[in-house]
This record gives sequence, structure tokens and C-alpha cells, in this order.
Amino acid sequence: MNLYEHTIVARQDTTQNQINQLKEKYTKIIEKFDGNILKTEDWGLMQLSYIIKNNKKGNFIHFKLEGDGKMINELEKNEKIDKNLLRYLTVKVKKFDLEENFFNKTDKHDQLNNDEKK
Amino acid sequence: MMKKNRKKQSQSNFSKLSIFQPNKFKFKKKCPLSGKGAPKINYKNIRLLKKYVTENGKILPSRITSVSQKKQRELSTSIKRARNLGLI
Repeated sequence: MNLYEHTIVARQDTTQNQINQLKEKYTKIIEKFDGNILKTEDWGLMQLSYIIKNNKKGNFIHFKLEGDGKMINELEKNEKIDKNLLRYLTVKVKKFDLEENFFNKTDKHDQLNNDEKK
Repeated sequence: MMKKNRKKQSQSNFSKLSIFQPNKFKFKKKCPLSGKGAPKINYKNIRLLKKYVTENGKILPSRITSVSQKKQRELSTSIKRARNLGLI
């Protein structure tokens, strides 16, 4: 079981429930291939340093996954055809540092619904 | 002494970029990333990556930032990953 850090960048104008749908969709795929998700981080709307498909900002979602290569191929195949995704990046990692979060929101509101989701 | 110094200066064409190296004296600088309490290199840690990138986003050579070769390789891969995600 390899450890992966998977990040996806959704388009600027995706609403909150669309983001949740995205999350459910990819968690279902991951469960189908008997991988499991250790942590999902929602970095929220962030400024991109260059324009991707005429989007200045992007919604970042970060997964910390555990699974094998077939799951990642399936995941990325679906992400290629997904319309409202700009970029995806999978990094194979030796070990995780779960509590390290570089982009956590300072405002309380986001922290609150993060805890509910976990 | 000044003449020798000037000759050395003109050789390194990055001299105007060498913000990290006081050109008055040349001493053996330790690598800032491979010490014990050094910050870990990670493609998400943009605050650290930004230190080793010029204003228009080019990676600074390790000759200027005196980073060890192993750390420079890790640094360049994480900067390229951050670029891919649009973070840098």
C-alpha cells in the first residue's frame, strides 16, 4: 500500500456544493479500488501565479491517500475528462506529516466546517 | 589586493544577483537547509521555496545560495511541482 499526496485544482467559479460533489465522486472511486483517505484538506480559493485556462484563482483540494497504482491510474483517468478541474498532481510519499498544514485558513469559520467534515 | 578582487568579481556573471554572499570576504558558508533545525523542503511550503527563486520565478543557482547539492535537487523538484500547481 503506497502513500500518495493528491492535489486537485478546481475552477474559480465552482460553488461550495460542487466542491463537495467533487470530493464525494473521488472518494467513491478511491473506495472502489480499496484505497483509503487519511486526510482531506480544503485549501479554498487561492491566487494562481499564472492564468490557467483563463482562471486567475483556483479551488485547491488536497487528499492524503493510501492505495496502489491502479487506483491512481483510475483516479487520474477520471480527472482528465472532468470539465471543472484545472490541474491535478499526485506525489508518491514515503511518510506523511499529517498535522502540518501550510495553507490552513486563519479565520475560525473555515476551521469549523473542516472539523465537521473529518 | 583590490585589483585581484575586481578580477574575481567580473568572472561570476551572477555577481549582481549574489544577494546571499557578501562579496567583501569569501568564507565557507554552511548549507542553510541541511542543518539539524533546518526547515523541511516541501512543494507546499511556498514561503521557503520563494526564498530560492528570483522575482520572475527562476531558480537561484546553488553557487549563489550555497545550498548543498542534495538539497538543491530536492529544492528544484519541489519548485517545479509548485509551479505545476500554480503556487509559485
